[in-house]
Amino acid sequence: MIPWRLIIFCLGFWFLGLGFAHAAESHLLPSSADIWRVVSLQDYNTRIVFIGTALFGAVGGMVGTFLLLRKRSLMSDTISHATLPGIGIAFIVGELFLGYGKSLPWLMFGAAVTGLAGMGMVLAIRKLSKIKDDAALAIVLSVFFGFGIALVTMVQQMPTGNAAGLEGFIYGKAASMTVSDGWLIFSAALVAGLVCYFFYKEFKVLCFDASFAASQGWPVLLLDVALLVLITVVTVIGLQAVGLLLVVAMMIIPPAAARFWTERLDRTLLIAMGIGFISGLLGVFISALYPRLPAGAIIVLVAAALFFLSMVLGGARGMWFRYHEHHELSRRVRRQHLLRSIYEWLEVHGKRTDLLDDEFTLDDIRQYRTWTPGELEGGLQRALQHGFLGEDHPGRYHLTGKGARDALRVVRNHRLWELFLIQYADIAPGRVDRDADAVEHILEPDILQELEELLEDEDTRKRIPLSPHRLNGAVHGGAA
Amino acid sequence: MKRIQGILFVVTLMVLLGCGGSSPETVTSAERTYPYKVICSIAMVADMVSQVAGEHADVVGLMGEGVDPHLYKPTRDDVNMLLQADMIFYVGLMLEGRMADSFMKVSRSGIRVFPVTESIDETFLLEPEGFEGHWDPHVWTDVAAWSQCIAVVEQALSEYDPANAADYAANAAAYRAQLAEVHEYVQKVVSTIPENQRYLITAHDAFGYFERAYGVQVKAAQGMSTESEAGVADINELVDFMVANKIPALFVETSVGDQNLKAVLEGAASKGQTVKIGGELFSDAMGAPGTYRGTYIGMVDHNATTITNALGGEAPESGFQGKLTKEEH
Amino acid sequence: MSSSDTTDHPLTIRDLNVAYRRKVVLWDATADFPAGKLAAIVGPNGAGKSTLIKAAMDLIPSVSGSVSFWGKTYQNMRHRVAYVPQRESVDWDFPVNAREVVAMGLYRKVGWFRPVRKAQREQAQAALERVGLGDFGDRQISQLSGGQQQRVFLARALVQQADLYLMDEPFASVDAATEQAIVQVLHDLKEQGKSVVCVHHDLDTIRDFFDHALLLNMRVVAQGDIDTVMTRENLAIAYGGKHHLLDRVAREIREEELQR
Repeated sequence: MIPWRLIIFCLGFWFLGLGFAHAAESHLLPSSADIWRVVSLQDYNTRIVFIGTALFGAVGGMVGTFLLLRKRSLMSDTISHATLPGIGIAFIVGELFLGYGKSLPWLMFGAAVTGLAGMGMVLAIRKLSKIKDDAALAIVLSVFFGFGIALVTMVQQMPTGNAAGLEGFIYGKAASMTVSDGWLIFSAALVAGLVCYFFYKEFKVLCFDASFAASQGWPVLLLDVALLVLITVVTVIGLQAVGLLLVVAMMIIPPAAARFWTERLDRTLLIAMGIGFISGLLGVFISALYPRLPAGAIIVLVAAALFFLSMVLGGARGMWFRYHEHHELSRRVRRQHLLRSIYEWLEVHGKRTDLLDDEFTLDDIRQYRTWTPGELEGGLQRALQHGFLGEDHPGRYHLTGKGARDALRVVRNHRLWELFLIQYADIAPGRVDRDADAVEHILEPDILQELEELLEDEDTRKRIPLSPHRLNGAVHGGAA
Repeated sequence: MKRIQGILFVVTLMVLLGCGGSSPETVTSAERTYPYKVICSIAMVADMVSQVAGEHADVVGLMGEGVDPHLYKPTRDDVNMLLQADMIFYVGLMLEGRMADSFMKVSRSGIRVFPVTESIDETFLLEPEGFEGHWDPHVWTDVAAWSQCIAVVEQALSEYDPANAADYAANAAAYRAQLAEVHEYVQKVVSTIPENQRYLITAHDAFGYFERAYGVQVKAAQGMSTESEAGVADINELVDFMVANKIPALFVETSVGDQNLKAVLEGAASKGQTVKIGGELFSDAMGAPGTYRGTYIGMVDHNATTITNALGGEAPESGFQGKLTKEEH
Repeated sequence: MSSSDTTDHPLTIRDLNVAYRRKVVLWDATADFPAGKLAAIVGPNGAGKSTLIKAAMDLIPSVSGSVSFWGKTYQNMRHRVAYVPQRESVDWDFPVNAREVVAMGLYRKVGWFRPVRKAQREQAQAALERVGLGDFGDRQISQLSGGQQQRVFLARALVQQADLYLMDEPFASVDAATEQAIVQVLHDLKEQGKSVVCVHHDLDTIRDFFDHALLLNMRVVAQGDIDTVMTRENLAIAYGGKHHLLDRVAREIREEELQR
């Protein structure tokens, strides 16, 4: 077995290495001292931004997993856009009446309020009108965002407006995080984490089968709202890290990438959190290594890179895995066809004393299937390599113990299935062979058992039933 | 039907623009009504124009107190107002990022539009690192350079209204003299700052000309335009710079967010360097209209006095002409 | 019909009207499902079969009418009712395995905020074995065949140990093995004295599986014992002669009558 995946990984790193070497020559690459300084988090600001964005990445991946599985991905986009008018209103109200319009928690509070209002409006439109989901999302998104832009433009004309830096919420301003922002993100992440931990089972049944959950008496609407409130909270803390345009990316990309690695919900959650965390971490590192690189965009780019890596190499449903799986299956099918042909030849022409003693040649087998010469030759060679066949004299082959076992099993499945089709599916015996061909390789043990029970022939349980149709090259039945 | 509507629209537009455009051309000085209307992009330009024009013109600044010209988006009202102006002055050098298009459109309809930095010699302009091909537009931070812009205003007004050309020349000369005095004052107070403390740390890169004219090294978190966002590396670099040079203060700008600077403040504190906010500077906008800081001279006075005192120099609390008062700010 | 005392009827429906927007899909449905019977709800496509059981469980709002389970509201009797939704109603690409899906039937008993424990996993495994999927507990659900997925849903209902089972087309496009497994489960349930109400679309098999029927086409056409309901006249009313199966079924019925 050639470790292809490892080889591709190594090649990838080699190319990356070449790229870095080239970059180093042209002084594009930071010195190792700079890299060490960043990686070891020596700078206070790197530390703060790292904690803030990586925590946001992890918690975004966590709630995003539920959002993705609930098929509400676009909802988070609408919520994030709907936060903008809240920021504007909070600033205006704060400046005019309270005297602290610039305070971040206050702006975030405003953002959360209109974010939730936007969400509520989507739910209301969905419930009260005939308008479809996607249209409702688009309407709320554009109306709220448009209103938000209008407010931000108004704020710009206020004497203190520009000092508020409201535009930063659109694109994010991770680099300017201070320790109080870090605490804010930390506490929101903690709350979100606890909610997800305690509601794990409830969210799981909600996302998988909401109507079943409702029939069981779970308050589905309440759970949905709880999930969306959680999304809003995480969106609001993401505003500073990556900005409202990119928040949706950090909620959807990590879980979508995680799905390529696992088929289990708990692992999907953990991997999504990991991918979000690493995106935040690497994004901050890169932003700290090169001047004039805003962290928010880099974080999302890193997440996207991890997504593509997962899509290709993912262990559960990545492209590489699927290709490999398919390749394996078709190889196995070819081998089983070969073994069955050999058995059928031996059944007619062999001495039938011991399956292992009888020898055959390539030409003997050729007549059984429409092989191309290359197929047959290649299949035979592979079967020899893997120890299904032996070759004592050149050109004359025999089954090995392993090969005989496999051949018996395949032939038995094939014949059982043929018999079933004839008896229960009104199929002419002449056509049976081809249908059975396709299916024999994938019969599950439970179906086999059912077949045996259905056919209820004492003998079929122990040995191989005779072929129900004429086998090529011989009058069948005499030997039995 | 649609087509007819379209044609009607175009015709209406042409008539409207035609009226607005042809009138300044056809009106002779005898028919001119005073005061005529001049619109300026930012308050610094408006101040200069009203100094030169005196009572002959009604000068209006488009962007008010605390407005950031880099990000300012013109509203429909702004465009209407521009179309009714007799003359328009702006800074140029791409300072008014999103307004530039509006000025172009208006100038095509026949209204005279002047960038005041036109008269400054190219060799005198700064080309900031990393922005090759773009001039630094923040000319007014060097009073002497700003003074050169008076020529454009003086000439434009005289051409438009030759009858009062003599007034304009006299006003311009007086303003030049005033600015020369201010320039001297700034040079004088800044030179009192101990040499190893002559660092000006701000939110965005607006003080390039100040640096050259008055010998204070300038460093900013954000680039020249506030549209670009600072990265983590930029903040770290600034922190390192402050710690390495033991800089005691940094300065907030009235028209730019202070979040980046707060992060720098914390970063420096973590390395044992206590940095204070030295005060608020007027970079791209002036103070409230009608106050001393709402004039160009008052703004420069405020900046110079604030910087000097925060960095350990000696400047009179009440500033250049004793007009700086605490309450007003 | 005599239903003076509905408390021993697991499901009683009175004058139920259901509408989607302005389109009425169920008119004045009145039905009684007796205890201990295997009951089928039959009718053509769009007859409101699924709607009836969903509305009974308050999953979709009804315009008017009343529904009672053993004489009480669904809220009060929920713990005695198990629901098997249509297989197509969920996305089988969900990252869970078969046992976890079955365990969802126990979530209500587990209660808020508590995790599923070993005892519940064992119960789920036992239910999987009852439907012949004992070896498939760890299988991701998208890797099960359609019939196996249907059986997982059935197991999820079984694990609830309810007294009334509401099933929405469990026989829809399943393989022979699954059909057999479901029939076996139905028989077991009947033996245990449980009641089943099952939306069914296949007129060919209805007599083999069920002993009580409700014939529906937006209104209740007939209900009662399977033989009294599945007459040619009733089917003609319900299917309006359009149904291609009608003639065949009618012929079969005639033949059966002749044999008697």
